[in-house]
Amino acid sequence: MKLSFSAEDETFREEIASWLAVNLGGEFEQLRYRGGPGDEHMFAHERKVWEQAMAKGGWTCVGWPAEHGGRGLSIEQQVIFHEEYARAGGPGRVGHIGEGLAGPTIIAYGTDEQKKKYLPGILNGTELWCQGYSEPGAGSDLANVKTKAVLVEGRWRLSGQKVWTSLAHESDWCFVIARTDPESVRHKGLGFFLVRMDQPGVEVRPIEQLTGTSEFNEVFFEDAIAEDILGEPGEGWKIGMALLGFERGVSTLGQQMSFQNELNEIISIAKQNGAAQDATIRQRIAEAHMGLRLMRYNAMRMLSDNSGGAEDSAALVYKLHWASWHRNLGKLAMDVLGPDSELVESGPYNLSRLQSMYLFTRSDTIYGGTNQVQRNIIAERGLGMPKEQRPQ
Amino acid sequence: MNFTFSEDQILFRDSVREFLNNEVTAESLRARWDTPSGRCKELWAALAELGLTGMLVSEANGGLGMNEIDFVLLAEECGRAALPEPLVDTVLVATPVLQQAGKDDVLAAIATGQSAVAVQATEGALVADAEFSEYLILQENSAVYLVSSADATLELQESIDPGRRLYSVSWDASQANVLADGDRGVALQAKMFNLGALGAAAQLLGLSQRMIELSVNYTSERNQFGKPIGSFQAVKHHLANVAVKTEFAKAPVYRAAYSVAHNLSDAAQHVSHAKLAATEAATQAAKSGIQVHGAMGYTWEVDLQIFMKRAWALAGAWGSRGEHKARVASAVFGPERSLGAGQTFASAS
Ligand SMILES: Cc1cc2nc3c(=O)[nH]c(=O)nc-3n(C[C@H](O)[C@H](O)[C@H](O)COP(=O)(O)OP(=O)(O)OC[C@H]3O[C@@H](n4cnc5c(N)ncnc54)[C@H](O)[C@@H]3O)c2cc1C
Repeated sequence: MKLSFSAEDETFREEIASWLAVNLGGEFEQLRYRGGPGDEHMFAHERKVWEQAMAKGGWTCVGWPAEHGGRGLSIEQQVIFHEEYARAGGPGRVGHIGEGLAGPTIIAYGTDEQKKKYLPGILNGTELWCQGYSEPGAGSDLANVKTKAVLVEGRWRLSGQKVWTSLAHESDWCFVIARTDPESVRHKGLGFFLVRMDQPGVEVRPIEQLTGTSEFNEVFFEDAIAEDILGEPGEGWKIGMALLGFERGVSTLGQQMSFQNELNEIISIAKQNGAAQDATIRQRIAEAHMGLRLMRYNAMRMLSDNSGGAEDSAALVYKLHWASWHRNLGKLAMDVLGPDSELVESGPYNLSRLQSMYLFTRSDTIYGGTNQVQRNIIAERGLGMPKEQRPQ
Repeated sequence: MNFTFSEDQILFRDSVREFLNNEVTAESLRARWDTPSGRCKELWAALAELGLTGMLVSEANGGLGMNEIDFVLLAEECGRAALPEPLVDTVLVATPVLQQAGKDDVLAAIATGQSAVAVQATEGALVADAEFSEYLILQENSAVYLVSSADATLELQESIDPGRRLYSVSWDASQANVLADGDRGVALQAKMFNLGALGAAAQLLGLSQRMIELSVNYTSERNQFGKPIGSFQAVKHHLANVAVKTEFAKAPVYRAAYSVAHNLSDAAQHVSHAKLAATEAATQAAKSGIQVHGAMGYTWEVDLQIFMKRAWALAGAWGSRGEHKARVASAVFGPERSLGAGQTFASAS
């Protein structure tokens, strides 16, 4: 056990910090602290330009192996990268679905040709991705996917509907789980497809959220052309689940760091408006601080375990913890603001950052596996409790 | 940066777990409830034989010269076994204190297994295992004393936990050996408090895991409505919540051990966090454990009580929840502290 950074790591810290100090200014100044949870709709275009500026500096996909165009940073340096990015108030990354999910999956399962075709757009920040898993009939029960994939003259064509697709309206590509074998049920007979969004067979309809804004969408496929299939028909479930594994890895670091910024803001408001004098608020802030520490510690345990095995139980409980923590933080923010928290101050339903965050955090315990589903998984897979009867 | 234990540390932990599994069975614990001392000299000798009593004693004094990080996993095992003997207090609390005071003879006696040492958490507090131990570390005002237990008057105070042996201690400070006083005494008291709270936290972590195991086993075997009750979600979710709390209590306990071993300035805050997290895990494991056992959980016969009662006792020992939370809150609100993202995962070396 050694909980400190090396001198070399600290030199790296200076490098990224000074790059951000120079580059996150001018036209990008307005992006500082924007585009986080509940604020993703803000400055979408400008953040894409920022993504490309990051790419020019070599700061996208910093954890990808160098042979695939990444920076190949060690875990330590990725931690530092995310710390400094958050410290500088770096905006929410529009490319995160490509960088954190699509890219690693393509690296793991794609052919050389596919890697050449898809990775550069992610690395350069020019092509954004979205995730087409959920359907009206397939939420928690993802294996109930009905979208069909049919092979017509050597091309896969998709028909069906996806829903809750985050950032589909901004995306160039979507990875889609669809049924390749019409006779199949459940996990079998699925494929993992890479689909261009800009084509006649794809229609995107925004869904208005609690915040009054739209980050997610319905996506309709009508004989849409799938550019590629990753892996073989029938491997869709395996690949789709492997992708969710990447979601729990290093990509959680950036999220944690932005949580820290939110907590800092709440603490400074509490100090200013006197809420920090209230014993219950003090306790809740201390609890929030500890809860965030737990995420860091847990991430450190998961990430410093190279075997990938021993710390599995730490990975299993992670989503339930952070989702519940963040939901509580949203409520804490409102309670610290007091009666003012209810008032919309600047124009029709133009919510403040914390108000949006509060509303957004109502969804944290739903997407990416609801709290109830997480508990089922922890009990059955983590604790080995008897399985519930589910369709096979 | 590396937040894992070495293979050796894990192997040692595993062998201690196996030893305690064999030697500290529920039957043997129950048998000891009915004896006056409640303790077993032979077991203590065996623990010394394994090198456990002298783990933190320097090699010069016959110990293994290890540190708090090496021991924290074993303290967890002591909790899992509900070990009655005062291994954690002797190794994790008394040893560093005696080392600092240069008490070589007592340290050597700890390493050989000849002496156990009991410690008083705060002035006037009851002292666990005072009778079993040859020495007591006691407090008065700003001083810390080393007292031979033969020179003190001990009176047993019955605990709700039949495995605990608590004593009120009357003694004469003017006759006692001063380990430190004045500012150094206050600092030593603070150090003792942190070490004690760390030891309690590690034990609570082990207790929590043991209670989860008992509950998982029971709910996998007990059938109602034609199925194991553990297949019902309401039952699963109870235990999943405990599993989350427990899994998330590990890291702060290990982190606190690291900070204490390296004398980091944040050690007190880290210890408080560890104690709070482990207390929450263990008290929830007790609460949910009894619930999923149904009426069985409320009986004297079922072993769950052994661990539940120890958890309740340790939850209140070495600082209440309120006290520890206040320490964290004052660190969070302290003016000198920048909470920013810059307060990094780890510190520069
Ligand atoms: C903000 C947001 C963004 C999203 N982005 C995307 C995206 O980009 N791509 C994508 O594919 N999807 C996305 N989703 C969808 C998300 O993954 C689903 O909402 C989630 O999987 C839950 O499915 P559902 O909404 O259909 O709820 P349901 O499955 O209908 O669940 C409703 C309730 O029933 C409970 N429940 C269901 N099954 C069980 C069970 N077996 N045991 C116990 N309780 C159960 C649930 O816990 C929940 O409380 C997003 C969702 C949100 C809110």
